Amino acid sequence: MNKNCCDIDACTACSTCAALCPVAAAVREFPGPKLAGPAAERFRRAGARDDAALAYCTNCKTCEITCPSGVPVAAINMRARAEHQKKHGRKLRDWLLAHGEHMAKLALPAQPLADLGMDNPVTRQVLKAIGIAAGRPLPKYARRSFLRQFGKLRQQPCADKIVFFPGCFTNYNAPEVGLDLVAVLQANGHEVVVPKGLNCCGLPLVTGGYLEEAEAAAKRNIAVLAPYAAAGVPILAACPSCGLMLKQDYRELFAADGAAEVAAKTYDAMEFLLELRDAGRLNTAFKPGKARYLYHAPCHLRAQGIGRPTLELIGALPGVTVADLDAGCCGIAGSYGFKDDRYEISMAIGQELFARIKAEQADAVLTDCGTCRLQIAHGTGAKALHPVSVLRKAYEPAYKL
Amino acid sequence: MTKTQAVVIGGGATGAGILRDLAMRGVKAVLIERRDLANGTSSRFHGLLHSGGRYAVKDPESAAECVAENAVLRRIARQCVEDTEGLFVRLPEDDAAFETEWLAACRALGLPAAPLPPAEALRLEPGLTPRLAAAYRVPDAAIDGFRLCWQNVASAVRHGGELRTYTEVVAIERAGGRVAGVVVRDAVSGATSTIACDLVINAAGSWVGEVAALAGAAVDVEPDRGTLIAFNHRFAGRVVNRLRPPADGDIFVPHGSVVIFGTTSAAADNPDDTAPRGEEVNALLRLGEPLFPDLPRYRILRAFAGTRPLYTGGHGAAGRAASRTFAVLDHSREGVHGLISVVGGKLTTYRLMAEKTVDLACGKLGIAVPCRTAAEPLAAGPAPGLLAAARKYFPAGGAELAAARLGDAFGAVVGRLGDDPANAALICECERVTLGEIKEVAACATTHGLGDIRRRTRLGMGTCQGAYCGFRGVAAVCAAGLADKPAAGLLGDFLEERWAGVRPVLWGTQLREQELLRGIYGASLNIDGAMNDEQL
Ligand SMILES: Cc1cc2nc3c(=O)[nH]c(=O)nc-3n(C[C@H](O)[C@H](O)[C@H](O)COP(=O)(O)OP(=O)(O)OC[C@H]3O[C@@H](n4cnc5c(N)ncnc54)[C@H](O)[C@@H]3O)c2cc1C
Repeated sequence: MNKNCCDIDACTACSTCAALCPVAAAVREFPGPKLAGPAAERFRRAGARDDAALAYCTNCKTCEITCPSGVPVAAINMRARAEHQKKHGRKLRDWLLAHGEHMAKLALPAQPLADLGMDNPVTRQVLKAIGIAAGRPLPKYARRSFLRQFGKLRQQPCADKIVFFPGCFTNYNAPEVGLDLVAVLQANGHEVVVPKGLNCCGLPLVTGGYLEEAEAAAKRNIAVLAPYAAAGVPILAACPSCGLMLKQDYRELFAADGAAEVAAKTYDAMEFLLELRDAGRLNTAFKPGKARYLYHAPCHLRAQGIGRPTLELIGALPGVTVADLDAGCCGIAGSYGFKDDRYEISMAIGQELFARIKAEQADAVLTDCGTCRLQIAHGTGAKALHPVSVLRKAYEPAYKL
Repeated sequence: MTKTQAVVIGGGATGAGILRDLAMRGVKAVLIERRDLANGTSSRFHGLLHSGGRYAVKDPESAAECVAENAVLRRIARQCVEDTEGLFVRLPEDDAAFETEWLAACRALGLPAAPLPPAEALRLEPGLTPRLAAAYRVPDAAIDGFRLCWQNVASAVRHGGELRTYTEVVAIERAGGRVAGVVVRDAVSGATSTIACDLVINAAGSWVGEVAALAGAAVDVEPDRGTLIAFNHRFAGRVVNRLRPPADGDIFVPHGSVVIFGTTSAAADNPDDTAPRGEEVNALLRLGEPLFPDLPRYRILRAFAGTRPLYTGGHGAAGRAASRTFAVLDHSREGVHGLISVVGGKLTTYRLMAEKTVDLACGKLGIAVPCRTAAEPLAAGPAPGLLAAARKYFPAGGAELAAARLGDAFGAVVGRLGDDPANAALICECERVTLGEIKEVAACATTHGLGDIRRRTRLGMGTCQGAYCGFRGVAAVCAAGLADKPAAGLLGDFLEERWAGVRPVLWGTQLREQELLRGIYGASLNIDGAMNDEQL
């Protein structure tokens, strides 16, 4: 663990985070990021043990985005939550949600099970009993994981390599996003490498309060990625949460060797493509289309401080328009919205976003984050896509893999 | 004209302890304090319940008093004491021979000093320098001066004692070589009146000389200035002393949410010479850095200074060399009968000082009741069930803090929160003070301003230093109809008082905090009228 992480001294108690926290707005029991975070930390160090309210925090990082003093509020909360849970025990459900990668590995080889998905009546009964929200549709596992499909791809060899960090959701639930990214990068003269030995970024472990396991996961990833970073190979994440872990949380929470070097070479997929465009290197042979999209910027993308690359990239496609929804957090926050005691809060947080989407005519909602897509589909019935999938379509058929 | 048996002058720990002791022995007594209780040295101090370790070598008499009273106060003042324990840490550059001498002195005092392997010391206190050469555990603790004074007075009142704050003794009347009473001036109304009495007990701390002079008597006291720094967070969980002959900047005391570090020692111009100076803060930081290498990076909330009532009578030594023991002086030696002064000592030994003083007073009054202050707790502590009930109403963690802060008034505040959930709103978010507590204290006859509320609740003593709780506190007091001054005046006094401590530490985040505060009060609230001419 990083001994210097979670410095609370910079907090001026200005309460900007409290005013803008989507969770505090949705649920009275959460005193808000400042009170649960830096302010409470002063008393935790004096022995206070009253951190039950921390369980409400979604780790959406809106507090960190809004903090004018650079206080790692969410990290402070995650750390305190882990300490609290160590002392007070955890639920089976929370273990399961934090260990989604294990679960996927178990489910995937048993193909019939995976096909049935988790939404069959028998599984639902079991899940309900352990505290998974009954009203929440569960993501289906893909028949073939991204890694399996990627292994069979034959890419055009290129001098420019990039490393792709697929992350669990892309790998197990939405392999098409990874494949679309590979196609887009190939269309732009890059060859994609997915090194062996990568595992879950560790974010579900962090939010679940398993910081030691998260640190171990982080260190394994860093060990794999550091040589590429050292060689100057860019590392891409299509999932903003994985990206944020690599860019920020590894450094902030765990003072792991090589974390800073990996962070410096990590890009969000759309961020990287925008940089290509700014360098005049983006392949702009897009076929004309006719579509109107809405864009939802995921919290963890906003936390990266990279603007909204999708608006520029997709907005530049011929015949395509894209409107920024700018309606805050969708509320799902990874595994948070799957918990029966959090489901209502999760849906309440997403209300503004849902209402905006419903009020608009559009072909689809674009958003970079997998669980945001689930929430949007659930909350509005709208089709939700990763923006890279739209880009790929615009290149077709020239660069079909 | 009112009449009583004994008038006690000085509402610090000593005077409050004396009032309690007198009341418990059945003596009719009034405690007179010119401002609020615990506004003198009993709040401008380090907050250390001494184990005796600091004085073991140089001042064994004082050390022995500390050893005994430390044990007593843990028993009777449980809600004022936080049992942090303490470490004595020697650095490689400190004299190893002193360590040997110190250990022998501790043994002679019966003061347990258990060696702690440096690695273990570092595990317990990760902020300490890894260079440490030796460490020992001692029964140091943190003690809260505000609570101690109020809880002593509350107990005294239950036994029939009386308190008058914001009342200054301006003259001591004599008749035929005996004191006959005191003339007091009400600081709020300005009116003067006389209290007739048989005995005057002068417990005015550093002001003891001035008060004795009112009766034509003298006390050899040299107010000695000490400056302290309060940090924003608890980077040390235990008291940490540097193991070397007592010097400046060698003690860190964790205190509630903060750490207090100090101190300095220099002759004071006068007992009210308590404005901290920037150069003292800088000097302290340099002295403390060897023990806590990150010290310059920790955020300072404020600095403050107090004056030690060092007794130089008989010894002639001053400053650090002066003994920390105390003296009870019977001024009949000088022909002033009925005047007793108590001087010197430590906050740690306030009860013993009170006991010896009241022994003498009772001798003069012909009362033979023995002292019971070491046996009876100051406050009963929250009744079983009350704390559990309180947790339902208080915002997270607030119940325990409020129970410890409020002593006997806790039950009433729990009632307020139970009656009206709006009273659970946090007025001071940094120190977790609820509206209910503010109202309860504001309703006390002894409360005249936000400063009085602050001393009893810690309102404004945390991170924001009044930026938010200042206007919220004033609004709360005014809305409840409990203000005896216009809002602007209440606010001005409170902010000035906070500013005095922030001024010498204006850098880093504390500077940003002050700019925020200036923006809130100057621009948004226009309290200094700078925008009165602006046309909207
Ligand atoms: C920097 C510093 C650090 C210290 N640290 C520690 C420590 O860690 N542990 C410890 O045990 N001791 C410590 N001490 C010593 C301890 O604080 C004092 O010995 C103790 O608080 C003195 O209490 P008191 O009641 O005698 O005086 P005070 O608390 O000063 O009370 C005297 C009161 O008399 C009032 N008064 C004066 N004149 C009049 C008048 N004419 N009419 C009415 N009222 C009047 C004043 O307003 C004042 O409130 C420290 C002292 C200093 C200066």
